Amino acid sequence: MPPASPTTPGPFGSKLLRKSSRSMLGMDPQKIIKTFFGANSGITIVVLVLIMVFLLREGAGFLSTYHHELEVYRKAGLEFCDIADTPLKQQQQLTSALRRAKASAASDEAKRALGDAEEAFETAIEPADEIVSELKTHATETKELANEFHTLEVGRLQLLAAAYSTSDPTRKADLLKEAELSKVDAPNYEERIAAVIDRREELAKALTDYTTVLGTAAVALPDAVADVKTAVPAHIAEVHAAVKKLETWSWQEPVSFFTAARSFFFGTGWITNSSWQDFYGVVPLLTGSLLISLVALLIATPISVSAAIYTNQFASDQEKEIIKPVIEFIQAIPSVVLGFIGIAVVGDLIKGVSQWEILSWIPGFPIQERLNIFNAGFLLAFMAVPTMFSLAEDALNNVPRAYSEASDALGATKLQTVFRVIVPAAISGILAAILLGLGRVIGETMVVLLVAGNRIAIPDFGDGLGVIFQPAHTLTGIIAQELGEVSRGSSHWQALFMVGILLFVISLSVNWCARTIAKRFEHPKA
Amino acid sequence: MMKRILTIALLTLVTVSAEAQSTLRIRGSDTLGAKLIPSLAESFKKTGGKVSFDIAAEGSSTAFTNLAAGTAEIGMSSRKVKADERTLCRSKGVALNEIEVAWDMITIVVNAKNSVSDLSKKQIMQIFAGDITDWSEVGGPSGPISVYTRNTSSGTYKDFMTMAMKGREYGKNSQKMAGNEQIAAEVGSNPNGIGYVGYAYAGAKGTKIVTIDGKAPNPAAVKSYPLSRPTFLYTAGEPAGNTKAFIDFCLSPAGEAIISKAGFVALSAK
Repeated sequence: MPPASPTTPGPFGSKLLRKSSRSMLGMDPQKIIKTFFGANSGITIVVLVLIMVFLLREGAGFLSTYHHELEVYRKAGLEFCDIADTPLKQQQQLTSALRRAKASAASDEAKRALGDAEEAFETAIEPADEIVSELKTHATETKELANEFHTLEVGRLQLLAAAYSTSDPTRKADLLKEAELSKVDAPNYEERIAAVIDRREELAKALTDYTTVLGTAAVALPDAVADVKTAVPAHIAEVHAAVKKLETWSWQEPVSFFTAARSFFFGTGWITNSSWQDFYGVVPLLTGSLLISLVALLIATPISVSAAIYTNQFASDQEKEIIKPVIEFIQAIPSVVLGFIGIAVVGDLIKGVSQWEILSWIPGFPIQERLNIFNAGFLLAFMAVPTMFSLAEDALNNVPRAYSEASDALGATKLQTVFRVIVPAAISGILAAILLGLGRVIGETMVVLLVAGNRIAIPDFGDGLGVIFQPAHTLTGIIAQELGEVSRGSSHWQALFMVGILLFVISLSVNWCARTIAKRFEHPKA
Repeated sequence: MMKRILTIALLTLVTVSAEAQSTLRIRGSDTLGAKLIPSLAESFKKTGGKVSFDIAAEGSSTAFTNLAAGTAEIGMSSRKVKADERTLCRSKGVALNEIEVAWDMITIVVNAKNSVSDLSKKQIMQIFAGDITDWSEVGGPSGPISVYTRNTSSGTYKDFMTMAMKGREYGKNSQKMAGNEQIAAEVGSNPNGIGYVGYAYAGAKGTKIVTIDGKAPNPAAVKSYPLSRPTFLYTAGEPAGNTKAFIDFCLSPAGEAIISKAGFVALSAK
């Protein structure tokens, strides 16, 4: 198509664009239009900056709030209880294995033996368990006192600030009186923790006794439960380690800001609205997001790139007319609709297929959860295809004609030209397309919220490739699910904003990479 | 003359529409807000209440954040208000007023194909806390247990923790669903699934109710079922006007009939 001639604008355009002697505010219309468009592009930059400022402002306080919470966690003795609790949880896993073995045991005699062993395990831990649960009640009370004090203190300071800024004397007196009323004593950590420390010896003794009993009980275990038998010595070692840790534990040891930051970025537990202690560790969410994006990319890349190559190089004009609009139409499907399809159709389909005998060699099959990483990744791939297809097709289009003509002139076949000349020349653009597809996928919310299964745990990589058929939770999903319920300014609220910042940084760097790659291998302008 | 009539007509129209326009914004628990409160609102309108309702049910916590922010007239909650939520409301100048409306029974459901039909309280705690991970441990066929729970904004999530799990944390293998319906749907589709729902949702397709130490949830014997709990409406200060009229309606015999029909237990029946 010849370029539109600038000398023949429409009747309206000609009036607007022609050089005129008239002017407004000292500017001629051309200048005004230029300023208008310039201002619009300026606004997008300003909005972007405002978004960053907003995210940072809400998230900035997180580290200090979380730091304070972790400090209370230590001072109130919750940390102490958790150290003692870890071996107790392990013991539960061991008895769980025993129960399973008992259920599958063949003879009544074996069943009885395993039942006795289970009971021995349970009774051995009871004294320690009792002490820990008593200490937990005490620690929770301390924590509640600390939280109440903190809330009231913050409120009191607000009231005082309001009182000093008001000029109305009666209102000022009211506010001051109210502030006085909400004055409470700070909890005396030292006095309260003493009750915990006093029982340290007792707890250590109970745990050590438990290991002795367990050691003898383990010897008597039948060979049917060899895995439990081998796990017991390691467990006993862990209990001893925990006892050592309890003995050196001190409530006064300061919590560094580094600890707070580390437990956010590398923490493996995202536990909120807990009656014990909230933890904000992003690792499970991050792994979920990354795994889902990876699955989506692995599915979407071959489809969209080969579709782009075919459309650009081999398709007839008629085919192009059909393929391009159809692929671009996919973008118009709302993600919530895709989510419903994921629950109602794809989930049951994957689950049904996974139960076929002939497919049982695939890791993870037959699957149990219809809402899982693969399901979400599959739908996201579908959403990423239009973006990746269009951009990859553009990249192929931008390869100078001279390249293919030169290749033709050397007598190369069409296939040789495409795969040896055009695709290598467009590879940077194709890579950029894939990365921008990744950016699209990692920020998608609705589909993952509905379809990914929302299990906040690091997927079990022990399953090998089967890991993609496990449920997971994502960075975007957690914000959507939890932001509505939290009170503004709380640590939970700030933690969610930190997750938002993390997401923002990820998409920003993905986009930056895409741009750098595209720029680095730019073609000479033909 | 004509002009005057027109003005009066217009004025009446404005006042009438102002009256009809008054909206009760109700926020909070999904257990109450998905079925019960909307059907109460419907009948309230039928009995001549001139008020429109705006109901959003996203979990009990949202009741208090909305009441504190002044964006709701009534908060629905399937649990009692927490101390820090009361403090939050107080700091915004809102004194919470609590009204018990109905009793609910948290019902444990498993897939209809599951052979397990009774669990002890301890087993339930261990399953949801992640100590028991296989059905063979509780006398079923061998298979890993999939645990479905509500998400953290739900009052049921918290209530279940205190009532059935002695305040312990949910196991890491639990999956957090947005509402009762989703839990019922997943349990119905997964032979190894277990979850809890409000009694009103217990009859979903493909699921069956598990008795707890032999006790089935039964509206006639609420008190003896271990997982029964009161549900509440909260208002900012003493209710007045439309708010009061609606709450009075909920507690009237007509309201109680709807409550029983929706699968809850009316206060007078317990």
